[in-house]
Amino acid sequence: MNEPWARISSTAFDVTIWLYLAAMVLSFAYLAVRREVLWKSARAVAIAGAGANLLSIVARGIAADRVPWGNMFEYSTVLAFLVVVGTLVLIEGVAGIKTLTGFTVMFAVLTLAVASMAFPTEPSPLQPALNSYWIKIHVVAAIVGSSLFAIGGITTILFLVKDRSERRALAVLREREPAPIMGGAVEIDAPHDLLPDPEEPADATPKAARGGVLPSAAALDRVAYRVIAFAFPIWTFAVIAGAIWAQEAWGRYWGWDPKETWSFVTWTIFAGYLHARSTAGWKGRRAAVIAVIGFVSLLITYYAVNLWIVGLHSYKLG
Amino acid sequence: MTTTSAPTIRRSVALVWRSLRSMRTALILLLILAAAAVIGSLLPQLPNSPERVARYLDDHALWGSFFSNAGFFDVYGSWWFVLITTLLFVSLAACLFPRTRALLRTIRQRPVQARELDGFPHHLELHVAAAPERAIADVERLLRRRRFRVAREGTAVAGEKGSLREVGSLLFHWAFFLLLVGVILGKGTGFTGRAVVTEGDTFVDARLNYAGQLRTGRYFPGGFTGVGMELLDFDDSYRRNGQPIDFVSRVRFLDQGGRPVGTEEIRVNHPASIEGLRIFQEGFGWAPVVEATLSGERLWTSPIQMTRDVPPPGVPDTAMPWRGAIKLTTPEPDVMVTLELWPDFRAFANLQLTGTPTPMLVSFDPLIRYSVFTGTIEDTSLANTETSGMRLVTRGDLRAAGRSSADVPGVGELDLSFPALRQYSVLLVSRDVGIPVVLVAAILVLVGLLPALYVSRRKVWVRAEPDDGGARLEIGGFALQRKDAFGDEFDRLVRDLGGQDAVVAEPPERVTAR
Repeated sequence: MNEPWARISSTAFDVTIWLYLAAMVLSFAYLAVRREVLWKSARAVAIAGAGANLLSIVARGIAADRVPWGNMFEYSTVLAFLVVVGTLVLIEGVAGIKTLTGFTVMFAVLTLAVASMAFPTEPSPLQPALNSYWIKIHVVAAIVGSSLFAIGGITTILFLVKDRSERRALAVLREREPAPIMGGAVEIDAPHDLLPDPEEPADATPKAARGGVLPSAAALDRVAYRVIAFAFPIWTFAVIAGAIWAQEAWGRYWGWDPKETWSFVTWTIFAGYLHARSTAGWKGRRAAVIAVIGFVSLLITYYAVNLWIVGLHSYKLG
Repeated sequence: MTTTSAPTIRRSVALVWRSLRSMRTALILLLILAAAAVIGSLLPQLPNSPERVARYLDDHALWGSFFSNAGFFDVYGSWWFVLITTLLFVSLAACLFPRTRALLRTIRQRPVQARELDGFPHHLELHVAAAPERAIADVERLLRRRRFRVAREGTAVAGEKGSLREVGSLLFHWAFFLLLVGVILGKGTGFTGRAVVTEGDTFVDARLNYAGQLRTGRYFPGGFTGVGMELLDFDDSYRRNGQPIDFVSRVRFLDQGGRPVGTEEIRVNHPASIEGLRIFQEGFGWAPVVEATLSGERLWTSPIQMTRDVPPPGVPDTAMPWRGAIKLTTPEPDVMVTLELWPDFRAFANLQLTGTPTPMLVSFDPLIRYSVFTGTIEDTSLANTETSGMRLVTRGDLRAAGRSSADVPGVGELDLSFPALRQYSVLLVSRDVGIPVVLVAAILVLVGLLPALYVSRRKVWVRAEPDDGGARLEIGGFALQRKDAFGDEFDRLVRDLGGQDAVVAEPPERVTAR
């Protein structure tokens, strides 16, 4: 173990938490007052935080002289980094939505805080079971998939919140202005999940009902779907790579170890979500609820299995 | 009204089949399967940890018996888990057959012409200089170059693209059947066994040698290879903080005639293969060689494979002593010697002096503390160190290369010596011919998944009519997925169709994506 690098890593870790906290506050401030300068500074601080996060990860790898994702603490550090970078690139960049950053950065802060409280570990070498090149393949895929599922899960929760407020606003609108007996009511009566396609734009919801600080429910739904559809094959690959590794290390590709079981459960639930999106009557809220359950299952896969359930994957202490 | 039973049965079969065919049924079955899997992760499972199941049954008598009857301690082997899986696959097949047929039909059929083009989400008209015949031929060529499947009728063209989505989706789903075949084939005809072998000894792959540590598949043909594995030595290494570095068994393989055929180092993450067997490093332990002589007659001289107690909370398992027994059934009454091994004497001394458990990572001046019992031995297995019903005669200590004697009243003088301390290695031996099938299935799952998620189906129609010396092209199209991305594709297509000299005949009336 290399002392100076270990110190750099842990200092960078602390700096990361503070920068993420600042980025989160600035993002929420932007949500509240909608001043462009707030968004820009939130973004800049988040990027700086991601830089510190990356430094912490790299320094950790140098200090321990191995890949810096060999135990739960390190895994969490990488997860937080990928969630923030994923938000900056996919949500702000590709989807062009500026108002979700505060929520995902909050998730990153919580991940780091839990990591430093629940599993603080000094950099140390890998245990024999982890000492394989599959750690580069399986674990990286699992973290990338987790970070995207997390972003998708958070977006879905916000979708449900927004969808609820849009429905309420619609109800108010309808009361105020009784719909004509035929025809005219269709538009107002048609929330997005009754439209022919999940990716359909939100134009069906009148502007008056949209309002609020978040993007329209339909936009949130669309982004959540895209991110989860991106994550799903990566997660599938992570499970398969894990099975190949398990075959090499433990002599069987699948043994219903708790981690295996829960990664399968998470996979199943998100598969259910993707199917529900194309099943009549399951679109919108019902599909979203499945995605939120999937997100919870992901958190169980991630935390509970390592902390409380005894199994082969209990790498809590390295 | 009277109804005969035959139509009723037929109707209910049809009803069941129809509900199995719906994706919703498959979806619900999938989620039920996930819920069942959760039960298996929350309760200890017999195949993984029988000792924890036993503890659970002790602690929760009422719930334990209920769970036990319901098969909750072997969820993944229970009849209802198999039933859910079977129903899921039947339902999946019921969903996939019609879809596969439809896909084959679509691929064989030519794209169908549309009657009205102005009803499509994307629609516009433009003027080109070429005559209709010529213009539509250009359109056809362009669409083909863009990998559309094209059908032409007169001066109208219909194009379709993206059936790869459905191909991928069906591949993804059918691959699970291949996966199932691989699993059933491999687990059904294969076996997993534990070879427990002490340094210097040889384990031969044969049914009896696995001594209760063997699990065979339902269709296991019964043959073992007879290959020998001689454990040359076992090495466990640790860092100073007690963290293990590696566990290595150096094994010399012997063919059926006992001739050496090669030496391999089997370590964690580095299994060895021989004659269709895969051999994995799974565990290890200490095996002290102990000789027992009773009144001058040597009754026992073998290594004893010892096991370690489960440590109390907060104590590393490397700090626990190892236990074993010698059972002598020739004297009257029977004599049993229980042994407690401390591989590192310093840990024993430290525990006596300070009360602190110390990990024992190497052997250092090993100590065996023994107790001699007389009585009747019911179970001759050495793994069972239960001494209830027997009488404790004496205790003593035995140091490495030392000897100790004790007087056993009514039996004679018992001499014990401890000439050597060896290690034993636990090797997992398995045969699974399904692995390549499972691997291929997994790859197909992934290969199918990508187009199933990311390819979108889109359709385009173009019609040309004579117009003012050139032709008027009417273009319509839509996408079934990724509709906003299709807007750009449609615009590009129109631009390329029109060439340089195109004039948009009417302002485009596209429904914009945002």
